Amino acid sequence: MKQNKGKIGIKEYIAIIALTVGTKLSDDTPSIIFENARNAGWIAVLLMGAMAIIPIILLIKVFSAHPDKNLHEVIIHLFGRFFGNILSIALLLAGVASVTVDTGTYVDIIGTMYFTKTPTSIIYMVLMLVCAYGAKRGIEQIASVAWVLIPYLKITLFIAFLVSFNSGHFDFIFPIWGEGKMEIVKSSIKNVSIFSDFLFIGLIAPLVVSFKDFKKGTIIGLFIVVFEISLALISYVMLFDYTTAELLNYPFHETIRYIEIGFLPNVETLFFPFWLVATFIRFSFYLYLSAILLGGILKIEEFEYLIPLITIIILLLGLAPDSPSIYLYIMRQKLLMLLSPAFLCLPPLMWLIAKIRGDFKNEAVQESS
Amino acid sequence: MRQYKNLVKVLILVCIVLSMAGCWDKTELDEKAYVIGLGLDTHEKAGKIKVTYLIANPEVGSQQSGGGTNEPPQEIVTFVANDFISSRNTANTVISKEISYDLLSVIIVSEELARKPDFVRVMYSAAKDREIKRSAELIVTKEKAEKFITDNKPTLETRPHKFFEVKIGRGKETGMIPDTDLNDFFQVSESDSDLFLGIYATTETEEGDEGAASDDDFMAGEIHFGGKEKAAQFAGAAVFKEGMMIGKITGEETRISSLLDNTWELQDFITAFQDPFDGQYRISARLAKPRKNTYQFKQQSGRPVIDIKVPMYIEILSDPSLVNFSKNEEKIVELKKSLTTSMEEHLTQYIKYTQEEFKGDTFHLSIPIRKNFATLKEFREFDWMKSYPDAEINVSVDIRFGEFGRQTKLPSLQELRD
Repeated sequence: MKQNKGKIGIKEYIAIIALTVGTKLSDDTPSIIFENARNAGWIAVLLMGAMAIIPIILLIKVFSAHPDKNLHEVIIHLFGRFFGNILSIALLLAGVASVTVDTGTYVDIIGTMYFTKTPTSIIYMVLMLVCAYGAKRGIEQIASVAWVLIPYLKITLFIAFLVSFNSGHFDFIFPIWGEGKMEIVKSSIKNVSIFSDFLFIGLIAPLVVSFKDFKKGTIIGLFIVVFEISLALISYVMLFDYTTAELLNYPFHETIRYIEIGFLPNVETLFFPFWLVATFIRFSFYLYLSAILLGGILKIEEFEYLIPLITIIILLLGLAPDSPSIYLYIMRQKLLMLLSPAFLCLPPLMWLIAKIRGDFKNEAVQESS
Repeated sequence: MRQYKNLVKVLILVCIVLSMAGCWDKTELDEKAYVIGLGLDTHEKAGKIKVTYLIANPEVGSQQSGGGTNEPPQEIVTFVANDFISSRNTANTVISKEISYDLLSVIIVSEELARKPDFVRVMYSAAKDREIKRSAELIVTKEKAEKFITDNKPTLETRPHKFFEVKIGRGKETGMIPDTDLNDFFQVSESDSDLFLGIYATTETEEGDEGAASDDDFMAGEIHFGGKEKAAQFAGAAVFKEGMMIGKITGEETRISSLLDNTWELQDFITAFQDPFDGQYRISARLAKPRKNTYQFKQQSGRPVIDIKVPMYIEILSDPSLVNFSKNEEKIVELKKSLTTSMEEHLTQYIKYTQEEFKGDTFHLSIPIRKNFATLKEFREFDWMKSYPDAEINVSVDIRFGEFGRQTKLPSLQELRD
């Protein structure tokens, strides 16, 4: 363990991906996808996964030439100091905005579905406090917590899926193409950015033990989350039918309130704590990523000290909107649409520049030497 | 010093985790009034409804309540409100505890309210409310919901939540009441291609002669029970189209509907058929559906044609004409033939009835035929609700016999009388 200080292994890396991206199936991402793709939402997710592979592969390719640089350093290297910094700032803004909107959404879920009387500000503060503490502990701790807890989180999730498959009707997923093939494609392009986390995950690329693990972990992680989210969308449609599934704000929470396990009717309290833990890990990781990026831009070595600052900013911004459940939903939709082209275009652009600059030749030389 | 540091950290973590449990939302069990049944009635004033709460007493029936309690197991209040969300606070004028819908298991609606076009608007409050679950049951009552709740006095299952849970559960198993819930109500109303069946119940027994209802072909309230039981009768279903009640069907029709429906899990039920060997008797049989139905859909010159194949597993429980099936293979073939035609007749008749009377199907037929459409647009243009009344639906029943009672052999009648 000692020689790997500050580094994470492939297991932990995959666990982080599965928790950060996989948890999206439990917020309002499904209803955003359902809006266009209707009951074919699961196909849309598979398509998004297929689409996301291209930028992710190119990104990995770029990192292969710079195994000890993180995303920010690679961007600076490729685009030069000035444009690189501008790009990184744009990424940071987008990242912080999504974390803000996401935390707002999660606070809204906790507030509307479970703790109806607790003031939003208190829920928000407690959530951010826990996540900031988690982020401050560093990537190693987040990763090992993720790895330790992932079996419990995923097992409870799959129990929920199994039960809802059992009480749902498979025929609800027909007509197979939903609103039509074009609509599926449209919805996929618009929302492919649910996988844009993979771009930000590039910030911890040098922290994974070896580059090979990073490459393998990213691809395996992508397959896991695509499969998981797609399965979740099928289960929601099977349980509620497309007309209703589209109207639900948070289908996952509606599901765990609806299902009964054997003779136990009110089982949501069984799933809620596990979901909460996944949420903590997820946002701890996001805060950590934002801190790395900000630290990189401002050239602050001890970027951990930026976490409280970012937390406070997110907290204040997240508390600002009036009628959060409606406003945040719209914000999230817009943000996803805005991030999609960025996610699809940035890695190819980086790869192209790296190619022109001849970075890959260096790598070939390095490997042969 | 080091171990203190860790201790402090653990303490902080514990505090954080504990605070997530939420002190704001903390309420003790005895500070909450759990509404088990919610009754809804019409009120003369437009936009207002009459709300009845059936509140359970959590102290009754629990083992550890030292010494028990002399309070009754339930409490009932009725008042006029705008909807059943704002009514919670109004109820606190008489009820000392905070009203909670957390354990709400049945929503009881009078037929009068269910038949109003406004009904669906009233019901959507349930989708908005944070505590009401989609697994709640919808019961339609012949009389006012208020009267139903006050008159329903089961002798043994006095705890209301247990009563409804067991009664509805058993009714669903025997197929006398439909296997539906609030989620189905919303789903069927929103997709607008099938009809929804709500549970039909009443505490009023109809005047009339006692033998009028034959076999299972009765509604709740049509059977006369002797003895002293004062519990409500649950049988049959209320038919809803686009979120509004348009009619009702009997217990037998509900069973038929459930046989045609792939979304219902039907346990076995016992019913009687005409004895093919002697017209004056009826044979009791236990029916079960071992597998799901298969549906074949095609369009012939614009008219949809659907073939439904219903697999049945039947156990013959009685032999009133003393035919002695175990020794007579031809008789079994004959019986099978007679049962098949009888069942097919019943099913076809019922389908025809829904086509003419309700102009929609009550057995989720739109779901299996969805497979034959590539996109939702095509399916919407096909408009199942509109095409169903003209559809040609052929039902075939595939019967497999199981046991023939505990004792398969019977003495012949002549021998006995000899």
